Amino acid sequence: MIRRIQHVMFLSLVLFVLVAVAPAIAQEGTITLDFYFPEASANNAQAIFEEYAAMFSEQHPNIQINVVYQGSYTDNRTIIQSQLAAGEGPDVAVMLATDLLSFIEAGTIVPAQQFVDASEDGEAYVDGFFDAFLLNSMDENGQLWAIPFQRSTPILYYNADLLAEAGIAVPTNRDELAAAAQALTTEDRWGLWYPSEGFPIWMFSAFNIAGGEPMVGDAFDQVFFNTESTASGLQYLLDLSGEYGVMPAGALSWGDGPTIFTSGQTAMLAHTTGSLTRILNEATFTVGTAFLPFGAAGEDGTGYGAPTGGGNLYIFANSTPEEQAAAWEWVRFLSSPEIQADWTARTGYIASVESAWETDTLVQLVEAYPQYASARDQLAFAGKEFTAFRSIDVQNVINTTLSSIIAGEVTDIPAALEAAQAQIDSLLAE
Amino acid sequence: MDAAVPVKNTRLRKPLLARLAPYLLIAPTFVIIFLFTLKPTVGAIHDSLFRPARLAQDPSVYVGLENYFDLFDPMHHIGGRFGRVLGNTILFGIFTVAIGVPLALMFAMLLNRRLRVMGFWRFSFVYPSLLPVIGAASIWAFIFADQVGLAAAVLRMLGWEDVNWLGNPNLVLWAIIIINVWSQTGYYMLFFLAGLQGIPRDLYEAADLDGASARQQFVYLTLPLLRRTTLFVLTIGFAFAFQTVDQLQALTDGGPGDRSNLILYFIYQNIGERRNWGYVNAMTILLAVLVLIVTVANFAFFERGGREHDR
Amino acid sequence: MTAKPTLGSRLVSLFTLVIAGIWLTPLIFTLLMSVRPPAEAITQGGLFFGSTITLENYVNAWNIAPWPRHYLSSIIFVVGTLVVQWVTVTMAGYAFARMKFAGRNILLILLLMQLMIPPGVLLVQNFATVRDLGLFDTHWAMMLPYWGSAFGTLLLRQTFREIPIDLEEAARIDGANWFQLMRRIYIPLALPAYVAFSLVSISSHWNEFLWPLVVTQSENVRPLTVALSRLIRTADQGSMYSLLMAGTVLVVAPLSILFILFQRRFVESFASSGIK
Repeated sequence: MIRRIQHVMFLSLVLFVLVAVAPAIAQEGTITLDFYFPEASANNAQAIFEEYAAMFSEQHPNIQINVVYQGSYTDNRTIIQSQLAAGEGPDVAVMLATDLLSFIEAGTIVPAQQFVDASEDGEAYVDGFFDAFLLNSMDENGQLWAIPFQRSTPILYYNADLLAEAGIAVPTNRDELAAAAQALTTEDRWGLWYPSEGFPIWMFSAFNIAGGEPMVGDAFDQVFFNTESTASGLQYLLDLSGEYGVMPAGALSWGDGPTIFTSGQTAMLAHTTGSLTRILNEATFTVGTAFLPFGAAGEDGTGYGAPTGGGNLYIFANSTPEEQAAAWEWVRFLSSPEIQADWTARTGYIASVESAWETDTLVQLVEAYPQYASARDQLAFAGKEFTAFRSIDVQNVINTTLSSIIAGEVTDIPAALEAAQAQIDSLLAE
Repeated sequence: MDAAVPVKNTRLRKPLLARLAPYLLIAPTFVIIFLFTLKPTVGAIHDSLFRPARLAQDPSVYVGLENYFDLFDPMHHIGGRFGRVLGNTILFGIFTVAIGVPLALMFAMLLNRRLRVMGFWRFSFVYPSLLPVIGAASIWAFIFADQVGLAAAVLRMLGWEDVNWLGNPNLVLWAIIIINVWSQTGYYMLFFLAGLQGIPRDLYEAADLDGASARQQFVYLTLPLLRRTTLFVLTIGFAFAFQTVDQLQALTDGGPGDRSNLILYFIYQNIGERRNWGYVNAMTILLAVLVLIVTVANFAFFERGGREHDR
Repeated sequence: MTAKPTLGSRLVSLFTLVIAGIWLTPLIFTLLMSVRPPAEAITQGGLFFGSTITLENYVNAWNIAPWPRHYLSSIIFVVGTLVVQWVTVTMAGYAFARMKFAGRNILLILLLMQLMIPPGVLLVQNFATVRDLGLFDTHWAMMLPYWGSAFGTLLLRQTFREIPIDLEEAARIDGANWFQLMRRIYIPLALPAYVAFSLVSISSHWNEFLWPLVVTQSENVRPLTVALSRLIRTADQGSMYSLLMAGTVLVVAPLSILFILFQRRFVESFASSGIK
């Protein structure tokens, strides 16, 4: 037995030496950029990026893009941090919009502003983005650091057939939402699914934005977590499962949300626009999409408000100026209206450039599936995604606090919020 | 004289090569251990005494043991959570080992008989450890999924309420323990099986002739002879239990409210912020110390018993 | 033989069957989910077979990554690791089991550090080491840290110590050198331990994710788990279990087949090595 295995092993070793030792032959005069991206959807982004890279190299024959998949957003960030500490790392990467300050503070990225200033059409280029998406690209002085790329926002999905059957209008504020959910709840169906496991801060910040008390202001050294909006939002969520009985108690699954919705086990779902394409594919009923109505009714009767989310393009400081210039060309290419439109059509992210929505690709898409327009139009009510100094730490504090309260683990809400706020303040004071 | 020493010559009379032999034999292993474990561990101990500056290019600040003290400060952003995470980790280690290891021994005894289609039996217990952890975790994510999971579907068919396994703070750690027991028991079974096969059959035949009951054979024959195997399994069992990460990432992210968070995943949650690296290193060292205590306790217990037995 | 033990052993067999059934349930449903239509939740259609059976998930999973390249890469990683490990753990295992030398216990504890501090935690420093050695983005980088194995050394130490010392002494009187000792006595008698260790080594490296991801960036070098992770890290879309299960089957099938084939040899190895 051992001998036979040894034969196999010897052959494998020979093969392995051949593969491992085969030298990479670099072409002279070309710049090769390492482009790292995380994947958060099963759309085969690798293949799409490789296609884009081939198109790009046709226009820029001296630049080659090495497309490198790096796991989830978290894996990607951990890898980049580890590699940067050893003087390695990518030239350009997609990272979370919320990672901005960690990298600015560390001095490991270069501001996009310098390239914008150097381009003739720089100002027009920046104006072309949705304002809501640029909020997470700038520091407190208004300097631009990152370019919006694969962006998203949470929206309300509803089973339009059920709403029509029950004669219920699409809810526009939190009271209407609770009432609609109550009317739609039956023996074997919940009224609403609000996912709160994992990283609840993102979805939850809709309460703060709708309440006019966003967790972060224009400056990054202050975080307002212990607010009336937070407390009332938490109470509202607890009431949804307790008093109204339209939602199960405990932390509800994020990942299973779309399946629970498309299989008819909830009438409404709060989820990211990133899952829109999938939900449209899988649902056997008419899918409606609307703005998140988590706020109390305002003057016009609506209570809209939502954060933005997703990834931006970052250029790194330890690349040579030539590589950085080449990386900027690649960033410009990826943020062109045509590529943004194509990317939206193939993944479901929201094209971050306004003119992308005028391309044939997206005009046709919106015509066929008007649901895609809700996401775009909600941007008018969208606030900045959570960004602050010590962003990861502060988010961890907030996530743990929200999650313990929603799961029923902690019942004294004011005390928990106060303790969390104190931890956040001491972090920011460091 | 230690029974394990083959060469009875005194050290002085040994030729140089014979004296160097053990070091030469362990050298390749230790080069690797030095490069990838010992050197970075010393680095981690060093770094655990420092705190990174706000800017990456500035030197870190020496803070002595402050990082360690902060881990136990309830008002600290990491310390406020670390106590619970540490408690979970210890509970998790004790329960996965206390359930998994006896179960593995039981499986090994069940399969240490003449059975038809032995391949099938072995496979059915061992396959969970062949699965990639992220794949296995996803299977359990599907089983435990609220509303649309297998457990929910079965419970509903039986007319019962479904249970939000992973969203209920009181159930979630048990769900993770079940998964770990399921995935590791097959591993441990193999070692017990190898150990059982090593016990000479004539010992049992002799015991039979002496009229020893099955229970007596198990307690006085099997268990003592499996002592070293048990030591090994317990040691790796604790080490593996303390290194659970992927299950948490795929299933709960440590939640709700840190009720399923374990040290290594907690480290992973905080490693993304460069300025936490002092704490991350301090937690790594504490984790190592925790495993060290368990290992040394295991060895002390089993090896000492071992020497008595050898006499 | 009387009828009494037969009844008892039948009950034991029945008990074994029940437990095996419980243990196999996740696998059975992995296979069933992998052939379920992608959009169909377990609560829709039949519990077992859904509304129809389809291979669509396998096609989709296959198209998402260059699987053949990843298979090859995983094989190189696993085999290249194991072959070297066999040599190093035999050497070190013997030294710790049967030789007395200054600092033995301290060295053993130092060795065990590897079990205590997993490489994943020392990511930042270990990445720097690999880079300084010029091995970034090669198969060598994935394998190198595992060429010394605390786990394997400990296992063989325990196993070698169980082997009667008289066998070695008898062989030495016959003039056997160290290599002959290993070949004739230790390795054959420890074969079950080698098989168990190999299984653990193969399956843990076949299934390893984070370390290979960090030290490589070419699709040619990266192992299978990287392909699988593409199906799992779908936070922006929600979990797609059917696709995921198909991907899991693609990753685990070669190992399972290997195990089923190998496991007969496993039994034979016990039988032939059997210390009587």
